[in-house]
Amino acid sequence: MRLSPAAILGIATSVVAAVVVGLLPFTLSDYHRSTGATVGVFFIAILALNIVTGYTGQISIGHGAFMAVGGYTTAILTHNHGWNDLATLPVAALIGFGAGVVVGLPALRFHGVYLALTTFAVALAVPQIAKNYPGFTGGTEGLALPTHTGIWLYYTAWIVAGIVFVLAWLLLRGRTGRAFRAVRDSEIAAASSGVSLSLYKTVAFGISAAFAAVAGSIYVLVNNFVNPDVFGLTLSLYILIGAVVGGLGSLWGVLVGAAFVELLPVGLTTAHISSSQSVPVIFGAVVIAVMALLPLGAANLLQTVLHFGSQTGQSSEVPLGTEGR
Amino acid sequence: MSTVFATQKGLRFLPASGWIVPAFVGAGCVFLLIGSLQSSLFAQQTISGLANGGIYASLAVALVLIYRATEVINFAQGAIATFTTYVAWQLMSWGLSYWLAFVCTLGIAFAGGFLIELIAIRPVERRGNQLTVVIASIGLLILVEGSIGWIWGSDLKFMPAPFPSHIYRVGGVAFSRQDIATIAISIAAVVVLRLLFQFTKLGLAMRAAAVRPDAARLVGIRVSWMLSLGWGLAAVLGAVAGLMTAASPASLLQPSMMDGILIYAFAAAVLGGLESAAGAVIGALAIGVTLNLLGSYVSWVTPQLLLPAAFVLMLVVLLVKPSGMFGRSRVSRV
Amino acid sequence: MTRRMKGALALVVLVLTAVAVSAAFAAGSATPGVTKKTITIGGTFPLTGPAALYGAIPKAEFAYFSYVNAHGGVNGRQIIFKYYDDGYNPANTVPLTKKLVEQDHVFAVYGSLGTAPTLATRDYLNKAGVPQVLVATGDSYWGAQYKTYPWTIGFQPDYPGESRVYGQFIRNKVPQAKIGILMQDDSYGQNYYNGFLAGLGSAKSKIVDVEKYDATATDVSQQVVKLKAAGANVFALFALPSQTIDALVVATKVGWHPTTFINNVSASPLFMYLAQKSGANVAGDISATYLNDIYNNPNTATAKLFGSIIAKYDPGANPLDADILFGVANAWTMVQALKQAGPNPTRAGLMSALTHMNQVNPFLYPGLKMVTTPTERFPIDQQILEQYKADGNWHPFGHIFSNAR
Repeated sequence: MRLSPAAILGIATSVVAAVVVGLLPFTLSDYHRSTGATVGVFFIAILALNIVTGYTGQISIGHGAFMAVGGYTTAILTHNHGWNDLATLPVAALIGFGAGVVVGLPALRFHGVYLALTTFAVALAVPQIAKNYPGFTGGTEGLALPTHTGIWLYYTAWIVAGIVFVLAWLLLRGRTGRAFRAVRDSEIAAASSGVSLSLYKTVAFGISAAFAAVAGSIYVLVNNFVNPDVFGLTLSLYILIGAVVGGLGSLWGVLVGAAFVELLPVGLTTAHISSSQSVPVIFGAVVIAVMALLPLGAANLLQTVLHFGSQTGQSSEVPLGTEGR
Repeated sequence: MSTVFATQKGLRFLPASGWIVPAFVGAGCVFLLIGSLQSSLFAQQTISGLANGGIYASLAVALVLIYRATEVINFAQGAIATFTTYVAWQLMSWGLSYWLAFVCTLGIAFAGGFLIELIAIRPVERRGNQLTVVIASIGLLILVEGSIGWIWGSDLKFMPAPFPSHIYRVGGVAFSRQDIATIAISIAAVVVLRLLFQFTKLGLAMRAAAVRPDAARLVGIRVSWMLSLGWGLAAVLGAVAGLMTAASPASLLQPSMMDGILIYAFAAAVLGGLESAAGAVIGALAIGVTLNLLGSYVSWVTPQLLLPAAFVLMLVVLLVKPSGMFGRSRVSRV
Repeated sequence: MTRRMKGALALVVLVLTAVAVSAAFAAGSATPGVTKKTITIGGTFPLTGPAALYGAIPKAEFAYFSYVNAHGGVNGRQIIFKYYDDGYNPANTVPLTKKLVEQDHVFAVYGSLGTAPTLATRDYLNKAGVPQVLVATGDSYWGAQYKTYPWTIGFQPDYPGESRVYGQFIRNKVPQAKIGILMQDDSYGQNYYNGFLAGLGSAKSKIVDVEKYDATATDVSQQVVKLKAAGANVFALFALPSQTIDALVVATKVGWHPTTFINNVSASPLFMYLAQKSGANVAGDISATYLNDIYNNPNTATAKLFGSIIAKYDPGANPLDADILFGVANAWTMVQALKQAGPNPTRAGLMSALTHMNQVNPFLYPGLKMVTTPTERFPIDQQILEQYKADGNWHPFGHIFSNAR
């Protein structure tokens, strides 16, 4: 594999980041380690969304549903069948892949806003289905799982995040990644170049859902609890916000996006500002402001400031091209 | 890559979608009629379903308007509608009569929608793409719903109904004057929108600004003002939806009032074809009736599955007609 | 600047940021909530979202604590009450509760609202030995599962106990009953349903129809219409406030006038008022209560005290909202327990106080007593039936029932 200087720099920075992430918990309290674990969960989920939305251009407002699939898989296997928590992760990934393909196939027929609203429908339907089988899923009272220390959660989340990151990077810099980007930039050109649209779009959904399912599994472990409200519409919306704020099509932006959607709302809620009702007002205003000031996300800002990578898609860190109005 | 719409010849009452969809709708109506004549329980469930559908329709039409005028799915539409309803409540608690407050609220809603586009959306639109605007609308949803709680609190409030509670009882079926009013107003909104977009220069300009902004600018249309106008008008329709919703017994005035309804309104708008207001109303009524009948008569559709059922209906329609019942099919040229 | 220098700069910036961030996160030290002058408690409540109407409760509790603080506090300590918004989402409740325990160092987690949120944090709190007290949910778990979860205790009468009273009433007093039930299709509704069946006993053969709805339903007219069509003349309404109000209005709208039983959570005078203004005929409806009847007795010492506390410390509250009386009654109980825990309170001492209660709470219905023992851990176990009259008030009648199992 011949690596461009940009890619080498990218790898170097990733290694440094990994070291920082790895050493961070020693300076953090147990509570903040759990928070860090949740940032890790969102990192994986936003990375997953990026595969579908950033790299193949299919808008999904439904990734909370895939997280739910993974989360419930882990919860049911652990609670009802006594499995070891970590052992459930690959199973969750597999079932998530299946769910992604199931959603991806009919989604082939839809584009743009219709696809977005279909995924929106999936996001709403899955918690309802979970409620429908309370014997299995615990219904609204949910399932309680064994608690873990902050440090266990943190490392589980970030090691898995690291694995997912590496997998995504390998995937996206290869042929599959080029095919994905071709699909995103021009479906007609891609099809005429022999890229099978249905295969790649469906595979993108499958892989994305598999990653999201794993994120869901860890989310459930972090909270040691699952019920349908955990995977409501808000979760899907936050993942999408995180992906766009971070910068679509960029693996770096994912970290920024994850930190944004996890730390900002919780930080505001616990900051004891004048009224707790002002929390959503501030958060909403910040989201709008970020969209106005950094429409291509934080990764684009990093890119502009630091002149990383290139615009042509050689490295894996590439911002989404603007589809101007 | 450019996109053009399939052209339609002359004026038609419904967009060019062939005879299949109207035939289906007609068959559905016949089915409902026969069922209602057979059983007054069936009739009551149908009428109640239509009443619910009327509420979804009023918001769905606002969603269609904003989509036609700006090509954006506005997640904040329900929250803005709720906000304007609170404004009406506030005016009434300051002593204004219902209808005076209603009219003032429409004006305030227009101004509010216009300003929101100007302040929050335009800066985003200028440099971003469609997805960025959608995210901004999600941010707006969070902001607006939060601000309602911040200003007025989250406790339940009473909102008077525009039409004094008068119940009609016909052959064992009960419905209220308000139920009829809600449906009638939604239909009126459809007619007004059709007149606007089909017959006025302004409507044409708005459509042009939404679909081909660059070309529109070339012919002198002030695209930004058209978009703001679109948001303003959508806010007005939303205000009407909010007032009708608050008047129904199922909805009490609280910040999350429109959350559930927005979901069904989206399903209805998509089902009807995002560019067709008439389709949205028919879709909404269809969803309302179908869910009621499913819940009543089909035992394996448990209460939890009703929400997914609305989307299954939407998906079934989309799989057969990917642009919705009365949506226009898009033709892409390479 | 060369590209390599820029890259190096980026690395330095990154590392410095990480260090700064971690410094901001630096851990605090640990005394659980008690200082010479203050005692800190905290809880999680839905202040936004569909359950936000219960946000009145922590505000009322805060008001009562403010009143107590203004009068010297508890054993010379000022009560600091921190409450966070979890939006009824357990994925928020867990981290917020962890924050309360590990960052805010609360002495006890107090009054948290909701069954699922409480279940989600129960393991963590019991493992950590942090009291999870006077939680605002009527599930039976808190009183029944004390052996596994000794640090958890509830407050209000449990739902099955309440509905059992309705069942018994119908069995004894409504011989020609044809019962129709509307229930939420989850554990909330199921709780009431089970207790109701237990109370009905042999009369459960008189149930003619059971209709269910999902919490996401925007309207329950479909279910009400079916209950009417089934010929029910008794209506058991086991629903949340919004759907309860809808059901009451729709029942009147379709011309159905059964004897209606409404669960206590949804029977606040505020909800009755809203239903009535929307056209429901609610005179004659029956519910149960355990709170003081300040609405009919506005000149008693309790009513006046309550009024003055709310006027001063929670002026935005709606006087018809029974949840504020609930909040004050709950907060009173906490203050009593803190007092009893003594001048050097420990967490174990708090639990001991709460499991050895034998007192009269002035904000509860006169004649009720809050009694707990280490093995009998339902603080409020008694209720009295009440009937809604045309004057817009609930009127208690009959004698005090015991929910005791």
